[in-house]
Amino acid sequence: MASKLRYLLGRVLIYAVLIAGTVVMAFPFYWMLATSVKSPQEAQQAAPVWVPERLKPQNWRAATRLGAEGGSRFWGGFLPGRTVHFFIRTEGDEPPPRARVPKPPGAFRDPLSEGTRIQVERVEGGWRFSFTNTTDQAFRLLPVVIYLPKGYGTYYPELAPDAVRSAGDYWRLEWVNLSPGLFGYVFHNYREAWNAAPFARYFYVSFVTAGTQVLVGLFLAAMAGFAFARVPFPGRELVFLLFLATMMVPGEVLLIPNYILLAKLGWLDTFYALIVPWLASVFGIFLLRQFYRSLPQDLFDAARIDGASYPVMLFKIALPLAVPGLITYGIFSFLGAYNALLWPLIVTQSPEMRTVQVGLQAFIGEAGSDYGQLMAASTMAILPIIVGYFLAQRQFIEGIARSGIK
Amino acid sequence: MKKPEHLLAPALLGTGVLAFLAAEASRLAIGGWASAALALLFALSGLALAGYGARRAGIPGLLTVVAAALGLGGVLHAPLALFTLAAGVLLYLGLRSRLPEPAQAAFWGWAFVWPSLALVLVWHVFPSFFAFYISLFDRVSFIAKSRFVGLLNYEILMRDPLFWKALSNTFWYVVFTVPTGIFLGTLVAILLNERVRFLGLFRTIYFLPYITALTAAAAVWMWIYHPEFGFLNWLLGTPGFDWLHTPDGIFALALRPFGIELQGFFAGPSVAFVAIMAMSVWHLLGYNVVILLAGLQSIPRQYYEAAMIDGATWWQLQRYISWPLLSPTTFFLAIIGLIGAFQVFTQVYVMTPTGGVLNDTLTVTMYLYNKGFRDSDFSYASAIAVVVFFVILALTLLQKRVLEKRVTYGE
Repeated sequence: MASKLRYLLGRVLIYAVLIAGTVVMAFPFYWMLATSVKSPQEAQQAAPVWVPERLKPQNWRAATRLGAEGGSRFWGGFLPGRTVHFFIRTEGDEPPPRARVPKPPGAFRDPLSEGTRIQVERVEGGWRFSFTNTTDQAFRLLPVVIYLPKGYGTYYPELAPDAVRSAGDYWRLEWVNLSPGLFGYVFHNYREAWNAAPFARYFYVSFVTAGTQVLVGLFLAAMAGFAFARVPFPGRELVFLLFLATMMVPGEVLLIPNYILLAKLGWLDTFYALIVPWLASVFGIFLLRQFYRSLPQDLFDAARIDGASYPVMLFKIALPLAVPGLITYGIFSFLGAYNALLWPLIVTQSPEMRTVQVGLQAFIGEAGSDYGQLMAASTMAILPIIVGYFLAQRQFIEGIARSGIK
Repeated sequence: MKKPEHLLAPALLGTGVLAFLAAEASRLAIGGWASAALALLFALSGLALAGYGARRAGIPGLLTVVAAALGLGGVLHAPLALFTLAAGVLLYLGLRSRLPEPAQAAFWGWAFVWPSLALVLVWHVFPSFFAFYISLFDRVSFIAKSRFVGLLNYEILMRDPLFWKALSNTFWYVVFTVPTGIFLGTLVAILLNERVRFLGLFRTIYFLPYITALTAAAAVWMWIYHPEFGFLNWLLGTPGFDWLHTPDGIFALALRPFGIELQGFFAGPSVAFVAIMAMSVWHLLGYNVVILLAGLQSIPRQYYEAAMIDGATWWQLQRYISWPLLSPTTFFLAIIGLIGAFQVFTQVYVMTPTGGVLNDTLTVTMYLYNKGFRDSDFSYASAIAVVVFFVILALTLLQKRVLEKRVTYGE
């Protein structure tokens, strides 16, 4: 009985420690996701907002209807001639609220705020606001500010405001977009971040860089690893020793000479600079060499007797059996290339050649205090890897585990 | 000797050599001392290899190494490299059937290796020496001709307080993150190995930070550490505490109430740097867990069963079976961790772009980056790199001597 109790206590303790650890490990991800759908005011609350307004279904319904009135149901917008109707339920009888479309700070003229006709009417149970686009332009967002007299003890806007501030006798209710549509509402920060910096280009650069490194790197390492493992060519030990020696040199040492070399070649700020220096990976060659060596030699002897040449042995026998090793190296090299900051930071100057990580790093400097947008950008930056991880979890973990066993 | 493919060989090779020479000559004519030096290096290494190959493996070996040498040049002239490769392959297709076994091995061995070898020579081996070479000059730059100054950069470096600051910061980083990471990793791995349910789920979550880009992770942690709106300050009830801009050393802070004032190195890593270390441990833990868990799972179950029959407690099982048999894995992680910790840059650069208040988060790699790419002093930065190389080498060897004695290789 006592031993059973002790066993149970032990189990409880194990799970308690593991779950506590899990909470710590996972919290930054939750916090990133939660902040990425917060308005600036929500993000800057003294006490944390656990469930942001933009994740609440009652707001989704309003956002969808408002978006449909202004533009599309999913992505909203404010098309020419459209009218967006907005309702605030109030109790009591007080002076009428005022509404306006704010100009962007510092703007001298703003077609959106000048071309929007605003009507405020008293209706049963509250106030109705109509915003009509009288221009011939389509707008992506419809920012709105409504001043509501503080005399109304309670008020219920259809769509929760992004910020509520006090302004004299009025509550100043702010919406960054009163015609958002469902996705435009939830993913507002994502869309704004995407538009604020050329993230599409960043992703393109990152994927080309990492993809090329993986494909060419795999090809090179598969060949060289095979030669080291199974081809008795003269000079093998010498070359192998040389490769071993390069592993001793930390990456920092190579930064400056490689930068100078690239500058002399005129390759700075090009894909060459991002890709070429890291194509041949000694680590990958070793990994695959180990893999080939673990295959039985009889296999190759038999093939040899049947008249197979070395390329045939490599591509028809060794490679198909070494797929797990190839996946391991592929994952490693993709992660390394996609997540790298230092090297792309050094060799690229123009925004067109920034990788996602360099772009994000620049965005951190530019986004200032808009942490919602910053977290949205961070989420986008890690999304491809996370999606890949959840799709091929086993390969990831087994691959990494394999790299540690020598 | 009258077979047509024997005529093909010299023809192709001749064209290759001529094209290579022409390209190099044009490059020389334009100037560019680096490419000239490189060309020379390639030619010499190519000749050496060729001599070696030819003696051992006859003509195919020779052709391959010449192709290798040309290919090295081909890294500078990509089309030429393709040409060389194509020529080599064509040549072989003509000769294949008549080659004796060792010659085939020589040919294909070199054919498989040379693209990697060429890239490694150009982008790893040559730059390693080049780094040392430029550290001997006074401010190598693209504009002016620089003066040979011998070891002057190293002399300045030894008296450079910022370098020592960066080195001691990095030292603290290693001392704090590597053991912490291994300890926590071992703890989690042992617990996960206790036949827990949802093992996959736990492992997935613990591993998630490791694959997350450090740039994004650093942005999130910056937000968590935010003085006004940060989650951590809310959690700890310390509103307004600026984690990333507090340069006081933690030992100094801890001992101040007792009237002991610590200065300089002994004040320990700053609060800001410890905050960055916490984030780094979070990032790396999953890797340690996965590696250690794989190590644990490779320990035969019988050991535990035998010990349990003898009445060993859970703690004894871990202490006398898991821990010693894990030691090769732990050792591997210690070495990897040391080397990685010496290269820490991304999270520090993102969270404290200027190296923190009073350079309290300046690491060696960041100092190297600042010197090389902010102040454009390539020579001085190279001197830092060379010193770092020797420090890592020394520490790795030391670790090997000290720790490896305690490593138990199973079976």
